[in-house]
Amino acid sequence: MDLARFARDGDESAFEEIMRRYSPRIFQFASRFFRQRSLVEEAAQEVFLKAFTELGKFEGRGSMEGWLTRITTNTCLNILRSSKRRPELTVSDLTEEQNDWVENKLADVATERHKASERSEVAADLAARVLETLSPDDQLVLTTMDGEDASVKEMVALTGWSESKVKVTAFRARRRMREKVEKLLARKTKATA
Amino acid sequence: MSEHITQLIEETPLASLSDSDLTAIRTHVRDCADCARTFAAAQIATLLLKEGVTEVFEPSPFFHTRVLATLRERQSANEGWAWSRLWRSASALAYSMVAAVALMAAVSFAIPATSSLQELTSAYAEDSVILDQGEPLDDQVSDGHILATLYSVDEEAAR
Repeated sequence: MDLARFARDGDESAFEEIMRRYSPRIFQFASRFFRQRSLVEEAAQEVFLKAFTELGKFEGRGSMEGWLTRITTNTCLNILRSSKRRPELTVSDLTEEQNDWVENKLADVATERHKASERSEVAADLAARVLETLSPDDQLVLTTMDGEDASVKEMVALTGWSESKVKVTAFRARRRMREKVEKLLARKTKATA
Repeated sequence: MSEHITQLIEETPLASLSDSDLTAIRTHVRDCADCARTFAAAQIATLLLKEGVTEVFEPSPFFHTRVLATLRERQSANEGWAWSRLWRSASALAYSMVAAVALMAAVSFAIPATSSLQELTSAYAEDSVILDQGEPLDDQVSDGHILATLYSVDEEAAR
């Protein structure tokens, strides 16, 4: 709170200390939304500039990290909303590796050996391509709740949404994501047949 | 039953489903092709989200310096903007004050001094006309008149 007060009074070194402490967390969080370093940096910079101008609104009731994370969520959602890019994804768009990954996983699923393994670059690429076709809110809910096992309460704290909005958004996002994958699988089956 | 299965899959992340729910789903999908497709797609989607966790970037060493520089840049831009906004709102008042001063200067210096002296002289002349009245009016009778009238009345009585 002291740091926030000093920074609010124009103490640049206090603000620099805030950035030094919290920028790794902000970068980590913004990385969920963007796969390019330049975009993550752009979002993180916007977060700190916004935080500086809004320090007066930080009353110290919650943690500084929580406050900054919420600003990050809103900033990243706004950047995604402004890009308005929702390209459709078809099987023909998939690379050979992505096709292989889907086939392997389908086989695992069929034999009930489908525990998630380590992070895979191919899965990350494919996940990003599928998520790109969804709305920013859907992307946030899916990556945070289904990807990183965040609870509904954590999502409420993160977004400022009501509990029911989180649940409804998650429900619909799962349906949309599942439908996209289902479509992809159906076309894939047709293509192989 | 199909709707129930779909709802189960969509309400909760697959990783958080209870064992009894998972058993119920697996038992059902053996005989239901639609739900089997739905379940397989949901599983692939979950695997994508789990294994496809994006790379986490670290802030570069120059990140803080760059943010501070941008902050200063925006602050100075905002100051300039604030001055221009102040000028925009106050310019009408400033212009009207300048116009008023110019008008007063014109009144003071442009009209010749002689004419004002003449006006002053004539004003005094009018005053003297008012003050130097010849015969007093009836209701402004002088003391001399009153005394003269009283004496003449007394003298007439004595006679």
